[in-house]
Amino acid sequence: MGGSSSQLSKELLNEYQDLTYLTKQEILIASQRFTDLLQKDRKSTDTTETGRVSKKTFLELPELKANPFKDRICYVFSTSENHDSMSFEDFLDMLSAFSDSATLEVKSYYAFRIYDFDGDGALSREDLEMLVNRLTGEEENSKLSKDEMRQLIDNILEESDIDKDGTINHSEFQHVISRSPDFVSSFKIIL
Amino acid sequence: MHRIEAGAGDSDYDTHPFGTDVMWQTNASVLRHRGHEEQTWTETFPPTRENALENNWVDMWLQNENRPIKDLYCSMQRKIEIRRKQERKMKKKTGLESWKEEKGRSWRKFRRKMSVVLQHLILWKGSLQTIGGQFGTGIQSYFTFLRFLVLLNFVTFLLVAGFIVIPSIAFNELGLNQTVSHSPNNSKCFEYNPNPQGLERFYVFIMNILMGTGFMEWTYMFYGYYKKTSVNFSNFSYNVPLAYLVTTLAYFLLSLLWTVIRSVQGFKQSLITDDSSVNNYTDKVLAAWDFCIKDEKIITLKQRSIRYELKVDLEEEKIKRLHAQRTICQRAGIYSVRILLNLIVIALLCGAFYCIYRSTQESQLLLALESVKGNFILELLAGYLPSIVITAANFILPLLFNITIKWEQYILSVEIRLTLVRCVFLRLASLGMLLYSLWNNITCGDTENKTPCDNCGYNYVENKCWETRVGQEMYKLLIFDFLTVLVMILLVDFPRKMIVDHCSCKLVQLWGQQEFVVPQFVLDIIYGQTVCWIGTFFCPLLPLLNTVKYFIIFYMKRLTLFSNCRPADRTFRASNANFFFLLVLLLGLAISWVPVLYSIFVMTPSKPCGPFRDQAFIWDTISMAVESLPKVARNFFEFIASQAFAIPLFFFSCIVMFYLMALGSSYGKLVKTLKDQLQMERSRKILLNQAYQ
Repeated sequence: MGGSSSQLSKELLNEYQDLTYLTKQEILIASQRFTDLLQKDRKSTDTTETGRVSKKTFLELPELKANPFKDRICYVFSTSENHDSMSFEDFLDMLSAFSDSATLEVKSYYAFRIYDFDGDGALSREDLEMLVNRLTGEEENSKLSKDEMRQLIDNILEESDIDKDGTINHSEFQHVISRSPDFVSSFKIIL
Repeated sequence: MHRIEAGAGDSDYDTHPFGTDVMWQTNASVLRHRGHEEQTWTETFPPTRENALENNWVDMWLQNENRPIKDLYCSMQRKIEIRRKQERKMKKKTGLESWKEEKGRSWRKFRRKMSVVLQHLILWKGSLQTIGGQFGTGIQSYFTFLRFLVLLNFVTFLLVAGFIVIPSIAFNELGLNQTVSHSPNNSKCFEYNPNPQGLERFYVFIMNILMGTGFMEWTYMFYGYYKKTSVNFSNFSYNVPLAYLVTTLAYFLLSLLWTVIRSVQGFKQSLITDDSSVNNYTDKVLAAWDFCIKDEKIITLKQRSIRYELKVDLEEEKIKRLHAQRTICQRAGIYSVRILLNLIVIALLCGAFYCIYRSTQESQLLLALESVKGNFILELLAGYLPSIVITAANFILPLLFNITIKWEQYILSVEIRLTLVRCVFLRLASLGMLLYSLWNNITCGDTENKTPCDNCGYNYVENKCWETRVGQEMYKLLIFDFLTVLVMILLVDFPRKMIVDHCSCKLVQLWGQQEFVVPQFVLDIIYGQTVCWIGTFFCPLLPLLNTVKYFIIFYMKRLTLFSNCRPADRTFRASNANFFFLLVLLLGLAISWVPVLYSIFVMTPSKPCGPFRDQAFIWDTISMAVESLPKVARNFFEFIASQAFAIPLFFFSCIVMFYLMALGSSYGKLVKTLKDQLQMERSRKILLNQAYQ
């Protein structure tokens, strides 16, 4: 499963189109970008697996560079052992989930995993706090005060924790997010 | 279908026929073990219990062939494996089934190709994406809205051109004019000769183009030039007046339908969010991040605005609690201040309306003065007086509203909404005022001296062809609006940016770069659209001008957005934006119906010009056309127009409405009980757990 654009056979291209929400054009652009990343990766580090881009190089991608959730995105989509490198297919998976035509179900699944920092399958108070901190900027002066944070998280749980167990589980998340009109249009990364 | 497949496929699992509920459960369990042991399940599949469960879930997807594999959320390798499995299974199937699936697959492929082709046809797709990427979806929604209006205007233009302008030109060129001769009883009303005589100087030419007078008045641009032509060949007949009227109604209906269809989605969303205003915080946190943004500066701004919004909301909650504790005295104080300020606002509005009214009247008088005639600048100023006054009022009053609202002590969200409502009212009502003053002038409405109107049914002395006059006013409004936008961008925004960039003076820095205030700009273009809707009947080529205008505005705004603007401090959410814009647009549409329908049903059309000359009312065209139909069709139309049809229709729609209302409230109750039930289940579970331990 190579990375460079010239090696993308027609069959593979068709298969990718079947398996992702991307169009042919988008896949070709993605493969071009991925080849660039691979070359960059080779220059900076010498111990690379074939066809994989290290996390460090990957996060240099201009679309992700300034994104406060970039490490989480890489973690969620990477299939390598330590979640520290991306293959071309992982990259396509990511673009597919963030594409225009992906369904709400797919998008909300990945959003949930991105926000689930400890990976326990539910958004706890700690997860929410981390999420809010990343949203508002993590410097000391930009964080919300402790009181505000407590009040905010109380309000969020009050609204969306339907079964009142103190965390937001996946179905609750899905429920809440499906009622939020901006989510689908903003959960998007386009190369 | 389901059963056949379950029988045909491997039957070591148990499928559940009801989609999502079960799926969510299984998904949750998948999720739980995906977190840490990702690699075990993506690469090898030891036959553990958990994996059996997960296989179950995947197999369910295999069952449901109609859903494409891309809807699965797992890694690509996994998807490929699932696909292989599916293919293997397909081989086992009978010919018919695999043929069906093959067909489904090729249909999907075809649809995919078509959608790629269609996407190339979408206007400004790339531009919109870059704007969304740089500035977020709130500002993008302004441009999407602008694009919608460009398309709407263009389609309206096509309608008008196809059914009114081109046939008129064709009949004119072919010499098929069958102009009806004047009825001689009132020959005074038929003198109308706008065509200029002799040579003209250049400035007069420019003047005519800007004001729609002189040679412009006698072109296809305005109502007056169209003739009462009807062509009758053996098997082809075309009646220009009828086409004119029907096309007018058609594009109004088209605009209404298109806007309503677009707003239905937003309406649903706003109903959902309204019904649970509780959802507020979740929205602002869980769906807050705009992943499209990649500019570092904008990301910092976005973070700041999220923080600001959260803080303001929390603050607001506190203030609301405080407000609830106010004493009666305090309340009385606040209410009296509010009443006073509202009176001031009303006084300001009345003043503005009076100025608009007077300026329209004065403009006509000034243009007739000898000292003004011949002086290019003065004539232009006099002609554009109403437009200038309206624009000035719309510029100054919102600034004053912003000051007064601070004293009224509302919470911030109410403050913003109230200012907007006032601005909308000002915009649309000032247009209404202009029309009222024109109406006054044309019908000698409230003046004592009715003599000019005695002869012809309208003020023939001042307005020989009053429809063209109204058309000219709208034409001028449109041009002036366009010029202000251009001037604002070129002479204010760009210099401001330069000053801010090159001067480190504190005062200037405080002033800062221009904000891209979405609601204000949207009001501007909705106002322009309302002008266009009103004017299209009187000036059929106005939609074309409006298309060009919005087309250019799109590029100018994009230019100034990228080079001059910073996003507003308080972000405008795309979702409320979309619905709000369309709602105001619908209001504008409703307002534009009034003058047009009024002139169709009530006013006497001009005698010497236009396709409806010689008629008592414009609507008579329709009744005459109906009379010429065969008897059955005539009876049908008469029945539709009669009370026997209208009253049952009214009652029927009432019944439907009540039914829907009852349905809605019962759904609301259902949701409530289901929520209660869920909570009860949960507490029961906790109890059982405790008992078990």
